Amino acid sequence: MGDFVLWIVVGTALAFDFTNGFHDTANAVATSISTRALSPRLAVTMAAILNFAGAFISLEVAATIASGIVDAELVTPSIVFAGLVGAIAWNLATWYWGLPSSSSHALIGGVVGSAFVAEGGRAVFGSGVVDKVVVPALVAPLLAFVAGGIAILVAYRIVGRQRPGPVARGFRLGQVLSASLLALSHGTNDAQKTMGIIFLALVANGSLGAGADVPSWVVVSAAAAIAIGTYVGGWRIIRTMGSRIIKMDPAQGFAAQGVGAAVIMAASHVGFPLSTTHVISGAIMGTGAAKRVSAVRWGVAGNIVTAWVLTLPAAAAVGGLTYAVVALFGTEELGPIAVSAALLTALGVALGRRLIAGRTLTAEG
Amino acid sequence: MTVLAVDTGLLWQVVWVSLLAGIGISALFSLVILGGARAGDARRAGRDGAALAYAAFALLAFVAFGLGVALGVQAML
Repeated sequence: MGDFVLWIVVGTALAFDFTNGFHDTANAVATSISTRALSPRLAVTMAAILNFAGAFISLEVAATIASGIVDAELVTPSIVFAGLVGAIAWNLATWYWGLPSSSSHALIGGVVGSAFVAEGGRAVFGSGVVDKVVVPALVAPLLAFVAGGIAILVAYRIVGRQRPGPVARGFRLGQVLSASLLALSHGTNDAQKTMGIIFLALVANGSLGAGADVPSWVVVSAAAAIAIGTYVGGWRIIRTMGSRIIKMDPAQGFAAQGVGAAVIMAASHVGFPLSTTHVISGAIMGTGAAKRVSAVRWGVAGNIVTAWVLTLPAAAAVGGLTYAVVALFGTEELGPIAVSAALLTALGVALGRRLIAGRTLTAEG
Repeated sequence: MTVLAVDTGLLWQVVWVSLLAGIGISALFSLVILGGARAGDARRAGRDGAALAYAAFALLAFVAFGLGVALGVQAML
């Protein structure tokens, strides 16, 4: 792999990291903004700083993304590049429709699709897909739903007879802490996926040995990309999670975030990969349904679940299609260069049209 | 026991630890609020002894809550 292609893969990985940040901002801040525990700008600033800090806490899972799901021996930089394009496309599509979905599953889906098109079925381990994607996708929302439902009933039982003012203020204060924990855990878990992808590209290029440490510039750039993405804030998804699933009070907001943080940390502790998005969405629905089943807007919840089901196949389809286009150019060098040039041109045209129309391009849309 | 590629023992551990931690952390913080609210009410009613007791109860619940959070962060590292 030439250095130019290496930098294309690094740039695409950082672009994915950026979309991961702004797509998942809602996980940490949506309930805090909805209950007015934090102002929107303060919430995303705090989440961005803690995502940045979280990326430095641990490097334990760097380079483990997609391991056990695709055959690492067969993965090439072009496969990684096409997989990243698939993941970015699905993150942008779900952001546009305001649907919270798993960035990790999008990344896995993209790499599975491109590996499948490149090398056929032998490159994909079906049991790995079941183990790391299908089962966690079923367990995470159900577990968080039940835990969130019980947690809010317990909380209402404990504080139910107190004056609403101090109770609401107390839970808002608690939300600042639970939002901080979620942002920190998001930075720790998700920034490492990008570090892992860049590390693999450096090893494939011969720039690093397989046993080398992750270079500092990789850690800093991945932390910065996810933090900037978080600061930009995916406001469409924040609106969906904060107010379109249920209209929540501060106790529900705290219970959803507290349960979310606890479930993610418990799963991390025993090494079971759960999606932050699935956990928080499930907890929000659980705290709403426990109060009153009709309090949950099940139509919105249904759209979210549909997006979860479609994440892997849709990202895989885009990843596979991207790899097919890359392969048309016949070489490892020309493919990623041609496709990234075409995508950058399309992005430039979209930005230009927005500017000509007098609108700025923001994550709010 | 492993079904397909899934370690059901690990799965069961995630379920019970998550339920315990999620519900526990919410319950402990609710107790902090309960103690704080009752301490405020007692202070306004001039019952200083009860106010002190409720404040101590809130502090105790907060310490337990803080320990739970610290345990969670440690587990994440």
